[in-house]
Amino acid sequence: MPAPDDSSSDNGRANAPKANLSRRLFIKTVGSTAAATTITAAGQAAAQVIAQRDDDPVRGPGPIDITLTINGEAKRVKIEPATTLLDTLRVYLNMTGSKEICDRGSCGGCSVLVDGKLTVSCMMLAVDAEGVEVTTIEGLSKGSALDPIQESFVRHDALQCGYCTPGLVVACRALLNKYPKPDLNQIKHELSGNICRCGTYTNVFNAVLEASNQKPIVDQEAR
Amino acid sequence: MNIRFDDLPTSMPTTNRPQNLGSSMNDDASRLDGFTKVTGQAKYGRDQYLPNSLFVGFVRCPVGAAELEAHDDAPAKAVPGVVEVEISGKDGQYQGHSVGYVVAESPAALARGLRALTVKWKRGSVKTRIMDEKLETPDPNDATKDLLAAADHVLEAEYSTEVQTHASLETHGAVIDHKGDSATCYVSTQGTFAATDGLGEAIGLPRSKYEVICEYVGGGFGSKLNGAGKEGVTAAKVAAKYKRPVYCFVSREEDQVDTGNRPSSLVRVKIGFKNDGTVLGGQIRSWGGVGVGRGGGGIALPTGRYTLGKLQKDHTDVRLNAGAPRPFRAPGHPQAAFVEELMLDEMATIAGIDPLELRLKLETSQDRREMMQLGANLIGWTDRQKTGSQTSVLRRGFGMGTTAWGGGGSQAECEVVINRDGSIEARTGTQDIGQGQRSTMGIIPASVLGVPLKFVTVRIGHSTLPVGPGSGGSTTTPSTAPVMQLAAESARKQLLVAIANLNGGDASELDIKDGQVLRSGKPLMSWKDACAKIGGEQILGRGKSEDVKRGEGHSQGVQFVDLTVDSETGVVRVNRVVAYQACGKVIARKLAESQVIGGVIQGLSYALFESRVLDRNVGSMLNANLEMYKIAGSADMPHIEPVLWRKGQTGYRSLGEPPTIPTSGAIACAVFNAIGKPVRSLPITPDKVLAVLQGAKS
Repeated sequence: MPAPDDSSSDNGRANAPKANLSRRLFIKTVGSTAAATTITAAGQAAAQVIAQRDDDPVRGPGPIDITLTINGEAKRVKIEPATTLLDTLRVYLNMTGSKEICDRGSCGGCSVLVDGKLTVSCMMLAVDAEGVEVTTIEGLSKGSALDPIQESFVRHDALQCGYCTPGLVVACRALLNKYPKPDLNQIKHELSGNICRCGTYTNVFNAVLEASNQKPIVDQEAR
Repeated sequence: MNIRFDDLPTSMPTTNRPQNLGSSMNDDASRLDGFTKVTGQAKYGRDQYLPNSLFVGFVRCPVGAAELEAHDDAPAKAVPGVVEVEISGKDGQYQGHSVGYVVAESPAALARGLRALTVKWKRGSVKTRIMDEKLETPDPNDATKDLLAAADHVLEAEYSTEVQTHASLETHGAVIDHKGDSATCYVSTQGTFAATDGLGEAIGLPRSKYEVICEYVGGGFGSKLNGAGKEGVTAAKVAAKYKRPVYCFVSREEDQVDTGNRPSSLVRVKIGFKNDGTVLGGQIRSWGGVGVGRGGGGIALPTGRYTLGKLQKDHTDVRLNAGAPRPFRAPGHPQAAFVEELMLDEMATIAGIDPLELRLKLETSQDRREMMQLGANLIGWTDRQKTGSQTSVLRRGFGMGTTAWGGGGSQAECEVVINRDGSIEARTGTQDIGQGQRSTMGIIPASVLGVPLKFVTVRIGHSTLPVGPGSGGSTTTPSTAPVMQLAAESARKQLLVAIANLNGGDASELDIKDGQVLRSGKPLMSWKDACAKIGGEQILGRGKSEDVKRGEGHSQGVQFVDLTVDSETGVVRVNRVVAYQACGKVIARKLAESQVIGGVIQGLSYALFESRVLDRNVGSMLNANLEMYKIAGSADMPHIEPVLWRKGQTGYRSLGEPPTIPTSGAIACAVFNAIGKPVRSLPITPDKVLAVLQGAKS
C-alpha cells in the first residue's frame, strides 16, 4: 500500500486563499448541479449524502485521518481530503472488489451501497463517507454464505471476464432491495448505469429474476 | 471474509435454454471462477497495489499532430513525491502518443507531477477521416465491364463504418514487482508467454528469474495481444531502476485513444446480377482508416460465404492522425459482413426476391443453409413484411446474416496431476480473458477421469506453467482442449495400470465413473482409495500439441434479427435475435451460450452505437470516455437465443470471434426491411435513419 502523500501542502496549496468559500460548500454546490444533470440513481444518491451532511470545519489540505464504516467494520485510514471513496477502498484499504473503470460515474463498476443506497464510489469523497454505512461487494457475502444474487449470477453465467461483475452485483442488490420482485423493464432500467463489455446483460436479467423467485425468460425450443 | 469456495457448487443446472440441453460435455457446470468473481475476490493486474509501490504515468501528445517544442521538468520534479521525469520523444503523431513518463510515490503525487510538467507543443495539421484522402476508384477492367454489361441490374452503392474502440473494462497496464534478483509481473494481457518474452530486455533479468502472472484479465478483445505492451515495458524499466514494485495502468481516456481499435472503412461496390438472383460479379473498392498504423485496415470482402461471381477488388489503407488499430474480435470481418449482407438485401429487393430465398440460392455451405431454414422458422420469418411496404410510425423489420471462422492451433502443453489424496491439478500457462479457459481446462480432465469437477484445481495464467497460446484468432480452446484431453487420458491410463498392478487383473477391465473405480462395471473402490495406492508421490499425465490432430467440425453460424424502427424519432430497437452457431464439440454449454450472446451484444453495439468521434481540426477524440462513447447497455437488450449446432461437430473448434461477425449486417438488413431504404453507414444512429427517411419522402 503506498504511503499517503504528506506533502501536498507544499504544492502551491499552502498559498491558496484560506477558504472564504468552504470546500464543503463548494462540493455541495457542484454536487447538486451534478444531481440535476446526471442520469444515474447512483450519482444522485452520492450527491444527496453529501448535501445532507452538516458543514464541518475545513480539514486538510494535507493528509488527514478518517474513520469509515465499511461492511460493518470501522476502518481508520490516512488520506488526502481529495481522495475518492473508490481510491480509498482500492489503494489504501486494498479492498479491490470495487473496480475503477471509467472514473467519472458513467459505468457503475465501482458501485457500493451508502446507507443502503446505490452509489458510485468514484464520485464520492472518502471524507463524505464518514458517519455512513458503506457496503462493498466484499460485504455482500459472509463466509460461504453468499447473497442469493451472487449465487444466481454464477448459475446463469451472468459474467465473463468478471470486471464489471462486482458493480453489477451491487447494483442488482440495490435493485432487489427496491423491488423485491422486479419485472424485466424495472431490471433493465435500474441496471442502466452499469456497462458490461463482454455482453452478459441478458444473463444478468435471468439471474435477477431467479434471485427474486421468479421464472427466468425461457428461449423457444429450436426445431 | 474467508470464503471457502470448495463449499460452493460447481454443478448448477438451468432450464431456460432447452434447445441446448445435452449439447456439451458438461451442461450444468458453472464458470469455475464464478464465485471468485462475484464476490470481488478475483485479483486482476489492476488490483495489485503492493507495499512501497511507485506509480508511472505517461506524458502524451494532446492532439492529432504536434511537435514538442520545449519542456521544463523542474516544476514537476519539485512536486513532493515525484521521483523521476523522463521525456524522450518529441514527435506526437496522434492524440495519446507518448513522449515520456513521470514516476511518483503515490497516484496523487503522480497526477500533480503530470499537471505541473510544463510542455510546449507546436500543433501540426491533421487528417482524421478516410474522405480527407483523395478517393480514386480505378475503372472496371474489361472482364468486369463485360459482367456488368451482361447483368439485368447493377447495384452501385457506398458503405461505411466508424472506428470502434475495444474499451476493455480493465485498462491496459502492468504491475512489476522487482525484488533485485527476481521479479513477479502482473500483466493484463492476452498472451502470458508473449508478455514474458516482451519484458526481458526492460526488466534486466534472465527469463528464468522472473515470472508473469495473469490470473484474471478484465477483457481484451484483441487489444491485449501486444505482449507486455508499452505499459508493461515502461513499468519493468522503472522497476529495474528502483528495485521496487511499479504500478502502471492507464486511465480510461488514455485507453480509448492509445490501445487500439477496429479501423473505419469505406467500401464502394458495383455489382451485377440477374433477375433470378444469380450474381455475375463486379467491383469492390475499399479503404481502411488505420490511424498511424501500418496496415491492418483490410476488409474480408467478399466473405466467401456466398457465390458472388467474379469480383475485381482493390483496397487502400489510409493513414490518419489517430491511434493505430489492433486486432479486434474478428478483424476485418464485421465490416465485411455488414456490407455483404446489406448488399444482398438490396439486390434481393431490386430483383423482387425474398432475401432468405436469395441467400439459400447463393449460400456455399449446406450446414448454414440448414441453419437458415431452422432459424427463419424460429424468428418467425413469415411475419416479415415486404421491404418498403410499411407506413406506420413503428415499423418492424427482419434481417439475417452469416458467419464462419477458420481458426487454427498454436503451441500448447498441458499437465494433469493426480495426487495421492485424490486431488487433481490441471495445468497450462495460458490465460482466461473471459472466454472460460479456467473452466474448460477443469471440465475436460474431470470428464476424462470420471470424477466430480470439484476434485480438479485448475492452474492457468502463469509463465512458469506449461506453455500455452496467446488468446488470438479464437484459438485458445482449439489449441489447448485436445492437449488437455490427451494429458488427462495419459493420467487416467497410468492410474488404471497402477490399480491393476496392485489388485490383479487387467487395466482394460477398469473404468472410472462418478468418482468410483469400476471393474467390469462393478464398483471396486472409491477414487480416493484408488489414489492412495499411487506408488510414489503423484501421477503426471502430459500432453503437447504435436501429438493431437485438429478437430473435425466447423464454426459456421447464421443469425436472425427482429427489430422495430420508430420512424418519427429514428430510434432502432432490437426485439429478438436468434443465433445459430457451430463451434465444434462444446465443452461447457452455459459458457458457450455466453460467448454467443456476448458476440451478438457487441455486434449490436457496433451496429447501433459505437463511434470514435475525432475533432476534425485538432484530431483529438471528443468521446474518450464511457458516457459519450456509447456502448450498448441493459436497456438496449433484445431477447437473445443462442442455438449451439450439433451436427457433425466432433473436435474442439473456435467460438470467440464468429458470433460477433453477422449481427451488424443482420441489423442493417432489418432496418432496411422496416423503413424501405438502406442505411449504408454504421452505426445506424437516429439521425441517419431520419435522413434516409427524409430522402425517401422527397
